[in-house]
Amino acid sequence: MEKLAGLVMVLLLAAGCASSGKPVDLATVTSVDEPQPVGVEINPPTTSGAASQVPQCDPTASLRPGTQPQPGAMPAGSTMRAIQDRGRLIAGVDQNTFLFGFRNPTSNALEGFDIDRVRDVAAAIFGDPNKVQYKVITSAERIDALKKGEVDIVVRTMTATCERWADINFSTTYYVAGQRVAVDRSSAITGIDQLGGKRVCAAKGSTSIAKLRQSAAPPEVVAVDNWSDCLVMLQQGQVVAVSTDDTILAGMVAQDPNVKMVGPRFTDEPYGIGIPKQNQDMVRFVNGVLERSTANGSWATSYGKWLAQAGGAATPPVARYRD
Amino acid sequence: MVTAVPERPPVLGRVTRSARTTPGRLSAAAVGLVLLTLLTGVFAALAVQDKRDTLDDLVQHREPLAAAAQQIFRSLSDADATAASAFLSGGVEPEGLRSRYEFDLLQAGAALGKASSDVGDDALAADQVSVLSQQLPVYSGLVETARSNNRQGFPAGAAYLREASGLMRSKLLPAAEKLYQINYGRLDGEQESAKEVPWVSVVLVVALLATLVLTQRYLTRKTNRLLNIGLVTATLAVALALIWSAVALFVLSTHVGDAERNGAQQVDVLVQARINSLKCRADETLTLVARGDGPGYEKEWAQLAATFTGDGQGNLLARAKDLAANDDLAGEVQLAVQNADEWVAAHRKIRELDDGGQYEEAVKVAIGDAPDSAASAFAKLDKNLIAALDAGRAEFFTQTTKAGNALTGLVLGIAVLAVVAAAGITVGIRERLREYR
Repeated sequence: MEKLAGLVMVLLLAAGCASSGKPVDLATVTSVDEPQPVGVEINPPTTSGAASQVPQCDPTASLRPGTQPQPGAMPAGSTMRAIQDRGRLIAGVDQNTFLFGFRNPTSNALEGFDIDRVRDVAAAIFGDPNKVQYKVITSAERIDALKKGEVDIVVRTMTATCERWADINFSTTYYVAGQRVAVDRSSAITGIDQLGGKRVCAAKGSTSIAKLRQSAAPPEVVAVDNWSDCLVMLQQGQVVAVSTDDTILAGMVAQDPNVKMVGPRFTDEPYGIGIPKQNQDMVRFVNGVLERSTANGSWATSYGKWLAQAGGAATPPVARYRD
Repeated sequence: MVTAVPERPPVLGRVTRSARTTPGRLSAAAVGLVLLTLLTGVFAALAVQDKRDTLDDLVQHREPLAAAAQQIFRSLSDADATAASAFLSGGVEPEGLRSRYEFDLLQAGAALGKASSDVGDDALAADQVSVLSQQLPVYSGLVETARSNNRQGFPAGAAYLREASGLMRSKLLPAAEKLYQINYGRLDGEQESAKEVPWVSVVLVVALLATLVLTQRYLTRKTNRLLNIGLVTATLAVALALIWSAVALFVLSTHVGDAERNGAQQVDVLVQARINSLKCRADETLTLVARGDGPGYEKEWAQLAATFTGDGQGNLLARAKDLAANDDLAGEVQLAVQNADEWVAAHRKIRELDDGGQYEEAVKVAIGDAPDSAASAFAKLDKNLIAALDAGRAEFFTQTTKAGNALTGLVLGIAVLAVVAAAGITVGIRERLREYR
C-alpha cells in the first residue's frame, strides 16, 4: 500500500518538477570551520579581581637566604626535609614553551632554561638533579597548584607581581623578560598600538593578557591554554599577532623563520620561582640556590645553551631582598 | 411489424432489478468475489514482497552500515590513541606505530566510503557522514604538521597534536558514534517491522474466506447441491495460501527474533564495550602526553572503565556473555573479560608510577610491548572483541538470511493461488448460472 502511494507521489512530483529543469544541487559548504586548539576562548571575561586593591610592593624583592644546608642533609622539620624524605621534588613546569620549558620530541625529556632551574634546586636538596617529578600546568593553573600544595615550586616563566605576592611567595628574580609583539614576516604591523580590534593571541592567566587588555588600542584577545597554541594559531592565520614576553616569542621565532618580533619591549617581566606562601624556609633556600647558580656559572651555561640565540640581557639580574 | 422499442431502464434500476433475481445476485457475487480475491492476492503478495525487501535491506544495507559506522569509530579512535603513543615514544616514531596509524586512517576512509553509499535518504545520518568526510582530511593534515614539527624537535608539534586530538574528540568521534546509533536504531526498527503481522492482508484473507463459505452455503440452499467444485477449489486455494503464509511468517519472525537477540543486540553491546575501551585507551595515553592531570582524562577513564570491567550492573561484557548464542562466543567474551581485568591492573600500575614521579617507567608500561603492558592487554582485549563482534555479525547474517529463505516462492505462490481461486470462483458460479438459462 505504502508502495502504491509512494509511486503515485513520485509520478505527481515528477510531473510537477519536470518544467523547472535544474541541475541537482551539489553538497554546499558555506564556512571553513577551522580547527582550534582545545580550550580556546575569544575575549574571555577577566577573572583576576581587578576590583581588589593590590598593596604597593617591590615584587622583585624576596627573602634573604641563610646558611645553605648540604645536599641530602636538610634540617629537621623544614620544608626541604619533607621533600628530601619524599625522595623527589615536585615541580610545576611547562612542556610547551620552547627554550624555557618544553618537551624535547626527540628525547622525550623536558628541557629548557626553567627546567635547568628546577634541576639546580633538586641537586641542592638531593645531590641529584634528576630527582624531580614534573607536573605540567598551564599559566592559569600556577597559583592554584601552589595554594593547594600540589607542587613544591613553580618554575614556569612566571612574572613576580604584587597581586601574586598576595597569594604566594616568589624567589629572587632569575631572569627579566619584557612583553613584545610577534607577527608574520609579511605583516605590516610594527607594534602593539596597531593591534586595535585585531585578533591577538595570549595565554590565559598570564600577565601578557592583562597588558593587552589595558592597551590604548585594545585588540580582540584570543586566550589559549599554552603558548605553543598561539604559534599554531598564528601559523594557521587565525590570529594576526601574538603578544607576550620576548623570551617566549623568541622560542616561536626559533621554530618558524616566518615569524618576526616587532616593536619595542613595553613591559618588564621579572621571572621568579613560585613557592607556597607558608614555606618561607623554602624561599630562603631557593634564593640560596639561585645565588650559587649565578656564582658558579651554572646560570651562564644555561643562558648560553638556551637564551643567547634570543638576545637579551646576558648577565643574571641582581638579587634584591626584603629580608 | 412495428413493435414499440421498450424504454431502456436506467442503469441503477437495472442493477437493483437484476439483484433481486437469483442469477443477478449470483453474477454480482461472482464479480465481487473475483475482485476481492485479486485484491487480497495483490495486497498479500505486496506485503510479503515488502518483508522480503526489509530483510534484504537489513542484510545488504542496514547491518553493513552499522558495522561500517562502528568500524569508522574504531579506526579513528585507534588512530588518535596511536598518534599519541607515537608522540610518547619520542624521537622518530617506531615504524609499527606509524603503519598502524596509516592503516587506521585508510580503514576509516574505506568504511566512510561504504557508509556514504549506504546512507540513502536519511538526512540525519547523511549529516554525520558529511561531518566525517569534511573533517577527516583536516585531522590528518594537523597530524602531519605535528609530525614534521616533531621531527625538527619543535614543541609546536605537541600543540598541533593536541589540536588534532581535540578535533577528533569534539567532532569526528561524536559524528561516528551518532552515525552508529542512528543506524542501529533503524536496524532495530526494521527488525520490528519484519516481525509485524501484515494485518490488512490478514483481514482481507479472512473476509475472503468467510465470503466464500457464505456464498457456498447460499448456493447449497438455493440449488440443493452440496458441493460446487469451482468454489471448493477456490476456498482450498485461499486456505492453502493462508496456511503457507502463516507458517512462513512464523518461521521468519522466529529467525528475526534470533537475529535480534543473538546478532544485533549482542553486537550492539559489544560495540558499546569496544567504543568505551577505545576511549579509555586514548584517555590513558593522553594523560601521559598532557603530563599532569590534563583536562579530566583520568576521570573519564575511571567512568568508562566501569562499563566493561568489575561486578557492576553496567558491565557490558557481562551482558554480552549472557546474550551469547553459543559456547564459542561466550568463551571469547570470557577472554575479553580477563584481558580487560589485566588492562585495569596495568593501568593502575601506570598511574602509580606516574603519580610517584616515575614518568619514564609509566610511559614504558603504557606503550611498551612487554606482555604485562597496557598496550599488550588492550591489544588482546580488542582482538577478543573483534572476534566476538564478527561472530555476532555472522549470527545476524545467518538468521536474517534464514528468515528471508522462509519466504521463498511465497509471492509467486500467492499470485498463482489467487489466480486459481479467481478461476475457481468464475467457473463455479458460471456453472450455476448456466442452470438458469
